[in-house]
Amino acid sequence: MEITFAILLWGVRILFLVLLYLFLIRVFSSLQRSLATENDIAARPSGLAHLVVQRTVRGAFRVGDRLPLRAVNGLGRDAGNDIVINDEAASARHALVEFADGEWWVEDAGSTNGTVVNGEVVRSRERLQYGDELAIGRVALRLEQ
Amino acid sequence: MRAQAAVPLGRGRFTELALLIWVATIAITGFVAVLATETASFRPTAVVVPLVFLALMLSLHVFLVGIRFRGDQILLPIAAGLTAIGLVLVQRLASDLLLQQLSWSIIAAGAFAATILVPRDLTALARYKWTWALLGVLLLVAPLLPVIGREINGARIWIKVGPGSIEPWEAVKILLVIFFAAYLEEYREVLSHAQRRIGPFPVPPVPYLVPIVAMWVIAMLVMVFEKDMGATVLFFGIFLAMLFLATGEAFYAIIGLVLLVLGGIVAYQLFGHVQARVDTWLRPFDEDLRFGTGYQLIQGLYALANGGLIGVGLGNGMPDRIPIVWSDFVFDAFAEEAGLAGAIALLALYLVFLYRGMLIALRAPTMFLQLLAAGLSFIVALQTLVIVGGNLRLIPLTGITLPFVAYGGSSLVTNWMLVGILMRVSQISDRMRGGGPS
Repeated sequence: MEITFAILLWGVRILFLVLLYLFLIRVFSSLQRSLATENDIAARPSGLAHLVVQRTVRGAFRVGDRLPLRAVNGLGRDAGNDIVINDEAASARHALVEFADGEWWVEDAGSTNGTVVNGEVVRSRERLQYGDELAIGRVALRLEQ
Repeated sequence: MRAQAAVPLGRGRFTELALLIWVATIAITGFVAVLATETASFRPTAVVVPLVFLALMLSLHVFLVGIRFRGDQILLPIAAGLTAIGLVLVQRLASDLLLQQLSWSIIAAGAFAATILVPRDLTALARYKWTWALLGVLLLVAPLLPVIGREINGARIWIKVGPGSIEPWEAVKILLVIFFAAYLEEYREVLSHAQRRIGPFPVPPVPYLVPIVAMWVIAMLVMVFEKDMGATVLFFGIFLAMLFLATGEAFYAIIGLVLLVLGGIVAYQLFGHVQARVDTWLRPFDEDLRFGTGYQLIQGLYALANGGLIGVGLGNGMPDRIPIVWSDFVFDAFAEEAGLAGAIALLALYLVFLYRGMLIALRAPTMFLQLLAAGLSFIVALQTLVIVGGNLRLIPLTGITLPFVAYGGSSLVTNWMLVGILMRVSQISDRMRGGGPS
């Protein structure tokens, strides 16, 4: 009787280790699966939204180019921007387009020539609707889904 | 086709539930093993506690499903698993503290839920960065104040609150990571694109170097006055890691490490408590230390040796020979009873936690959130590294707790809050990527 109890006890102790490893394996495989799913989502062709080039200058984009947007996008002439606008009329860091609280916003980053939405100069931070036209320097971009 | 495949995962949190069921089996087996060995000291609380804990974890899961939380499903089960192992070890090593540890896990679960719910906009935290820095520094120096400060086991890092005492350092960790993330997001460019270079080294304008030096000074002050080397290493380590992540300049990390080592050497020459720690580490078996400051470490090493490959079995070892084993030496106790196999599994869990945290950081949409997630996961990793290294006598022993596992309230609560913040960051990235509600 005593011997069986001891064996049982060892069984439980070994079981603990085995379960610990099974848990670890399950965690690993879940991680793997969630990574695969996330990659699938990332590989989808559409980004959050796009800026479609309406008007441009030589050396910059071509009309009709679709520039994918991330959550936060710096726009300007400097190469460090997410969307580089190769136009002397654009400032090095010209404007900021970001997605927050479920909506798109544009903010002027202290540019020399200003940022214009639908013909009006952006004063502070303004909401962008799909279809709005954003003008930076001589380049015009339309926000599309 | 792809979009459809992603949808079912977004609906429920089945991965999390499945993993939590595994946690439940581990917790129950662990408690059964410990209780069956120590039938003499059997008390009804030992049966109730794991059940209450599992109900608590299940309710957290139901809560997340209820608020339609989307985002990571792996961190919660890992944290739950580690906390469960912690409860098993508390029952094994200091069963009279079991109820206390359970109440702390209930508070921790509450703090976790609050972290998930309360800050509506995580990015807004960045706006109050100087507030966090000030609060952090205040909490850091609080233990030094005469009335509320307390010195326990040679380290002055506690403050008195009511009948107990809390370790403000634990909360400081999170505050500092928020501050560093916000600060580095703002000044990253200046720090990484330095105009002047001396040889291969970038030299940023002096004003921007001030925070780095200030961090170092504060870290050194903590070491000298609070006698807490672990906090110093952690504090400065997090700062350097985040600085490196933000700027990509290895130079900052190297100069920081050099400063830390220099500070350590000077402190070793000047201060008795630092000297004692290092001596204990280098020669614990010496005549004068064997039954003195080295005793704890030696017993820890014996426990490791006794454990061997698969351990002596939960509840079957003699970890009680190590003084204060439940807070300082849980890793050695676990390694004795679950063996090298168990110890490696435990470390692997921390590794997965770090891996997941770094993935969340990589996928976060803004610099602030990236640095926040990376910094928070790095806290857990570095803390594990420092205490496990200390327990294994690879580095001098410091009074840092093993995250989630070691007995200790403040540590448990802040670590669960940390998990909450990481999950919030992952939720934001999910929403941004369009994998969320559609």
